[in-house]
Amino acid sequence: MSGLIRFLRTQQPTLTQTDWQIWQPQDNEANVPAGKHIIPFQYWLTHRNNQQLLERAVAGEIGMWFAATDDVIDHKQLIHAGQKLWPMVAVHFPIFRDGRGYSTAALLRERLAWTGPVWAIGDVLIDQLDQLARVGFDHFVLRADQDRELGLRKFEQFSVRMQDSWRYPRTLNSIHQAEALTA
Amino acid sequence: MYRYDEIDQSLVQERSAQFAEQVVRRLKHQLSEDEFKPLRLQNGLYLQRHAYMLRVAIPYGMLSSAQLRTLAKIAKYYDRGYGHFTTRQNIQFNWIDLEEAPLILEELAAVQMHAIQTSGNCIRNITSDPFAGVAADEYIDPRPICELLRQWSTLHPEFAFLPRKFKIAVNSAVEDRTVLLCHDVGIELKRSDQGVLLANIYAGGGMGRTPMLSELIKTDVPWQDLPAYLTALLRVYNRHGRRDNIYKARIKILVKALGVNEFAKQVEEEWAHTQTTYAAWTDADWQRVAQHFTKPPYKKLPALSQEQLIQELQPNERVGFVRWFERNVREHQVVGYSSVVLSLKPHGTQAPGDATAEQMNAIAELADRYSFGELRVTHEQNLVLADVESTQLVALWQEAKRLGLALSNIGLLTDIIACPGGDFCSLANAKSIPIAKAIQERFDHLDYLHDVGDVSINISGCINSCGHHHVGNIGILGVDKDGEEWFQVTLGGAQGHEAAIGKVIGRAFLAEEIPAVIDRLIKTYVNERYDGERFIQTVWRLGLEPFKQAAYAHDAKAEKEGVA
Repeated sequence: MSGLIRFLRTQQPTLTQTDWQIWQPQDNEANVPAGKHIIPFQYWLTHRNNQQLLERAVAGEIGMWFAATDDVIDHKQLIHAGQKLWPMVAVHFPIFRDGRGYSTAALLRERLAWTGPVWAIGDVLIDQLDQLARVGFDHFVLRADQDRELGLRKFEQFSVRMQDSWRYPRTLNSIHQAEALTA
Repeated sequence: MYRYDEIDQSLVQERSAQFAEQVVRRLKHQLSEDEFKPLRLQNGLYLQRHAYMLRVAIPYGMLSSAQLRTLAKIAKYYDRGYGHFTTRQNIQFNWIDLEEAPLILEELAAVQMHAIQTSGNCIRNITSDPFAGVAADEYIDPRPICELLRQWSTLHPEFAFLPRKFKIAVNSAVEDRTVLLCHDVGIELKRSDQGVLLANIYAGGGMGRTPMLSELIKTDVPWQDLPAYLTALLRVYNRHGRRDNIYKARIKILVKALGVNEFAKQVEEEWAHTQTTYAAWTDADWQRVAQHFTKPPYKKLPALSQEQLIQELQPNERVGFVRWFERNVREHQVVGYSSVVLSLKPHGTQAPGDATAEQMNAIAELADRYSFGELRVTHEQNLVLADVESTQLVALWQEAKRLGLALSNIGLLTDIIACPGGDFCSLANAKSIPIAKAIQERFDHLDYLHDVGDVSINISGCINSCGHHHVGNIGILGVDKDGEEWFQVTLGGAQGHEAAIGKVIGRAFLAEEIPAVIDRLIKTYVNERYDGERFIQTVWRLGLEPFKQAAYAHDAKAEKEGVA
């Protein structure tokens, strides 16, 4: 897969390659193709007792993607269980201006204590990268036409932030903390 | 007044640089219009009927004279010599070139201003009482909270793509001058008996095509918890607000659909989690901000009565001054000081809320000389000099008169709220400015206007209701019928604590009918009123029927169609 930016919380953003594929079944009865796949959470809901799928998940070959309409709070238990099983979760943006995925990511991090990678997939554009990075995303699958090099620089446009977020405390808090440390 | 620290300054400059880069990509067609649109809207840039329109934020209505001079400069060099103050305590420039927008944002950043989130589906400009900090009926000064909210909402990462726009107002006085109940969220500040600053939260109000008043969803939120509480509230809205239909996407529809109790419950549940995640505001936050809103160096001055003031005037000037004093001068917290409203509604000569570059410069001068270099923008599209020594009122009145800013019509029939309408706005079905002008020309007699007393007329050029016609005592709404402009009249709307949504009285009128219709409505009131009864009270007492009959007494439409 091309156009993946990896930006872990304590590191710098980099362009990277991956062998993960995002899978969107045409037919609910289809089997997940061979190889590492990020599959729809709705598919998991209906097929999670399928022995073959479970084995592949245990082998680390299955990740989950949530649709904009998926309510992660409703599936708290399953997602907690998934912490041990899924190498990553992803949140799908049907269009870049659908903001539900931002709250989904924030909830995954804050309320569901998801510590693994959270990927942004779908209509992911470079002008939204900074916001996405702050609410909890750390992998970004850019839409194919996006300028990846420019995208990398989009995380650096702001040196200050007015809110606490998953990635940074608000700038004032960090200043206060630094002052407290040096006092 | 709040002064930016390095953090605020860096943010607006970096935002300006970010937008400049996006504009370059747009001009090179590397960014499609569809993708650019939300970016430019979040920077206050609309594509209007004739040109780009830039909406600049005036957070909670506070403006310094230096900022106003910059706005004058922008009007003069980048626009056509004027700006338009809006009901949301913003200012709009109607003739902007896209290429020049980044330069304007740079100019604004240099005087601690910006256009961030004045549009788009995000948290908009925080509005408040234009008399904050000086109003005699104030519980507490809301401005530190407004400023903390401005900072918190600025470029909030989670709420940049909400289902729809989101407007927050803050009030903390006996009278509500913020139209609190018509906001997505209204925050009412007060002190407990123990002196603790608390907030009551109202949610689900708004105008547009489905006007609704908000309802109380939570009492006594400690001020420190506002970021966590509002995060919870917005998160519920962001996740569950409708996105399938733009007309049903505001929070009011969600609150209505879930029911107030269920909505409040969901927010409460989320708040239990956000409280542990997001740092509460601290006393240090409060002090950092509140130090900018301390009282200016007021002098010890004697109280001055109107009678004492008019002694300074020639007999032929006294009636005019007294009228102005009664309508445009407000009581102040400090003895010997007054607040003065400068009317931006001169009869029939300009659109309500418009000010020319020359006027802006002259007003900045007035602010420097009479009011510690500061002023405020009102929801009614006027400007306020908040801290005027009462001994200076006569001098100020005389100067304001020369500048065409002293019309004594505040709160009267000609103090019309109007959106830019079809002259500028691409959404509008009809023109609002000529209607406002025609009404002002018809009711040009000040004795009559003062006798009629408090009446609000609000005009919107379309159902989006930027002119807030729903809450006008008399509301006028432009509608399109087969390509022709018609105007629907509503009665009974009000703002403030008695906020009410007006009701449509019947079929729409032609533009040329409107002044006569207003005339007949007002005459009905004058004939029917009890002593001391305001227009709206008479409407509420009698109901719509007598007014309706009067309005349609002369049926020009029937005449036009040959029915009469």
